[in-house]
Amino acid sequence: MATAARAPSEAICLHCSLPVPAGRRSPFCCAGCEVVHGAIAAHGLDQFYALRDAPAPAHTTEHAYTELDDPAFHRLHVRRAPSGQATASLYLEDLRCGACVWLVENAPRCVPGVTGIRVDLGRSRADVAWDPSVTSLSAIARHLDRIGHPPHPYRGLEREALRRREDRALLVKLGVAGAAAGNIMLLAIALYAGMFDGMSLGDTGFFRWASMCVAVPALGFAATPFFRTAIGALRARRLHLDLPLSIGIVAGLVWGTANVVRGVGEIYFDSLAMLVFLLLVARWIVLRHQRRASTAAELLLSLTPSRAHRLEGGREIDVPIEAIAPGDVVRVLAGEVVPVDGEVIAGRTAFDVGLLTGESQPIDVGPGASAHAGTLNLAAAVEIRATAVGEATRVGKLVAGIAALSTRAPIERLVDRVAGRFVAIVSSAAALTLLGWSVRSVALGAEHAMALLIVTCPCALALATPLAVTVALGRAARRGVLIKGADALERLATPGTMFVDKTGTLTAGKLAVVSWRGDLDAAGLAAAIEAGSSHPIARALRAHAPPTGVALDVHEELGRGIRATIGGREVLVGAPPWVRQRCSSQPVMEGWIAELAERGETPIAIACDGAMIAIAGLADPIRADAAGALDQLTRLGWTVHLLSGDDVRVARRVGAALGVPVARCHGAVSPEDKVAAVVAARAHGPAVMVGDGVNDAAALAAASAGIAVSGAAEIAIEAADVYLRSPSIGEIAATAAGAQATLATIRRNLRFSLVYNIVAGGLAMTGVIHPLIAAAVMPLSSLTVLASSLRSKAFRP
Amino acid sequence: MTILYLILPLALVLAGGAVAAFIWTVRSGQLDDVDTPPYRILFDDEGARPSHRSRRRSRARG
Repeated sequence: MATAARAPSEAICLHCSLPVPAGRRSPFCCAGCEVVHGAIAAHGLDQFYALRDAPAPAHTTEHAYTELDDPAFHRLHVRRAPSGQATASLYLEDLRCGACVWLVENAPRCVPGVTGIRVDLGRSRADVAWDPSVTSLSAIARHLDRIGHPPHPYRGLEREALRRREDRALLVKLGVAGAAAGNIMLLAIALYAGMFDGMSLGDTGFFRWASMCVAVPALGFAATPFFRTAIGALRARRLHLDLPLSIGIVAGLVWGTANVVRGVGEIYFDSLAMLVFLLLVARWIVLRHQRRASTAAELLLSLTPSRAHRLEGGREIDVPIEAIAPGDVVRVLAGEVVPVDGEVIAGRTAFDVGLLTGESQPIDVGPGASAHAGTLNLAAAVEIRATAVGEATRVGKLVAGIAALSTRAPIERLVDRVAGRFVAIVSSAAALTLLGWSVRSVALGAEHAMALLIVTCPCALALATPLAVTVALGRAARRGVLIKGADALERLATPGTMFVDKTGTLTAGKLAVVSWRGDLDAAGLAAAIEAGSSHPIARALRAHAPPTGVALDVHEELGRGIRATIGGREVLVGAPPWVRQRCSSQPVMEGWIAELAERGETPIAIACDGAMIAIAGLADPIRADAAGALDQLTRLGWTVHLLSGDDVRVARRVGAALGVPVARCHGAVSPEDKVAAVVAARAHGPAVMVGDGVNDAAALAAASAGIAVSGAAEIAIEAADVYLRSPSIGEIAATAAGAQATLATIRRNLRFSLVYNIVAGGLAMTGVIHPLIAAAVMPLSSLTVLASSLRSKAFRP
Repeated sequence: MTILYLILPLALVLAGGAVAAFIWTVRSGQLDDVDTPPYRILFDDEGARPSHRSRRRSRARG
């Protein structure tokens, strides 16, 4: 590797293929790429660059990962085999292509003691096995980190094991049904051919017996999911689509067996086997789509911080969060999330409590102030003495409450309502057929009635919903809308009340300068003086204007203001009362301060050489696409309410800007109030909650459907049915519109399949149906439904 | 056509064997992840056989 060669300015980075900045004396765009490339080359893994089909990420944290060796972590995440070998599952960031898989799976060559590593690309997961006497999990984690895939403990293993059992059971049934359908179809073709060309009675009988021997055990086993739901629905006195399906399947198997034994009459084993197979295929496809969406949303859970910096005798040691006990002192750096409830004992900083309470203003804290788990430390490192950990924290209690709320009563699906009427009509038609034909012969009556039950077995009806939903889920996922369940689409299709959280959902969730009064040039001075501060107000002022000059002799009083000299002039920036004490003010300035405060903005005064010269109004700015999204929702028929943890004045200001009537803007709303509002609205119809924070999670779970927007807290993502991965909140309206379009497709599919059933049922009642017609028409009706689903307008780009 | 009485049961037994094999693959987890294995077959088994390493690497560089 010619590392020393000077790279021309148009060169691209050897590792990530981004342009190398002009003047960099290395073939890499940044130090991160150089480290990752060095690690790869040092292990002789250069083949990575030939295998990859996407530029490699240059993401490495250089973290020590010592918390992975803590006994508390091992108890929770590491499994030990009797041979002493340890295994753990890790979630790896940035796993994208085959080359990443290759790189990671070569770990045993690079880290002695690793006995095996297996990557699952779809789930971004690696199962690692190692010998604890030779190496440690932290060493493996450091290696994975250095090759560009920072690892995190994989959460939700139990849930995944449960899903895997379900998936495997369904797949086995699918395979059995498919094999049965294929073989029975071959036998049926021989029988149909024999019907026309003549076939000895003995041969016919033999084929019929063979069909029966395959069909009865195979279908009896493969169709158990339908029987189980049908029985469950009967017990609960509810109607379910699986009921007419089960009646058709059982009637077909019993009647066919009777006819084989009798040696006369029709058998329908081929149609039945095809029916069961198609239904299982549809179920399996829907399940896969749902799994993909839920896995993508839940992977984010693995990214939640799992370590804390505990102070032990003046030293800072990284431990897993589970190892922290009340009374321990933890250090929380700027940009980190507070891991415990407790009291600040050293340091001054600002907390963003937005995710927890919905308040958009950062809170300044110092020693003695209380801190809550789940809040973000914005400005500087602080030390916190833990008073409550894990489930005892405020956020932990909120989460526990959500589990109780999220047991949603199953909705009555459209197709189940149709199925109810369908059962009534088909069974009375069967009774009518039996009676009508019994005038001539009871045996003939029984045969035609059975034929009716079998040919009207609603295959297309059963496919109508899954196909439409699958198409919608797939297209939605490509747009960044992850829908976790098929039910959510039906819940979102009927307009009702929509509650939208303000902070972080309709607004950006962080402070910015939204108005300026007075000297415009002061903006540059304010940016210059705040250059070294990480306080959120400083960040907002820096983003507002480029700095003019360099601030010297800077004194910051956290939570009050900042003072410095710029170009020989003394400049003050801070809260108006603090600035007022140090310089003169004019009535016009006081008027502006009052005006901005009245509008719900935070006024910040800028003074120069002893006189106030400008007032900046800071607020959480409304997202650019929010107005359009709410407007579209109103046009779709939704009544939009605005909920905010902020003061009611702030809620009204945002509401006014977005065209939400004052009566529907609710301020100072606690998480409990949000749940109450949603529950009250559900009494009158569908109530959908849109939110992002921990404070919204309970309401998301209580609503008839919950939508979490991008950047939402992990608890909110877990509680919601829909997660918007793209930052545009215009997708909320697109999701509602897509749900309506999906339901329209389902209705069209139901109409198609009902027409087929009426025709086939009519033929059976008049006694002219032939098993061959049944066998031909059934796939035809299913294909019609498939074509109709693919033509759906739902989530079309 | 008496041969049918032998062939047909034999065919069904074969089909049964295929189904049993399928069930075994599912239960042993071979179909849990269908995204990664298509990539894995493309890798050289360099890592698995360290003895071949030096020869292959020199060829790759040459």
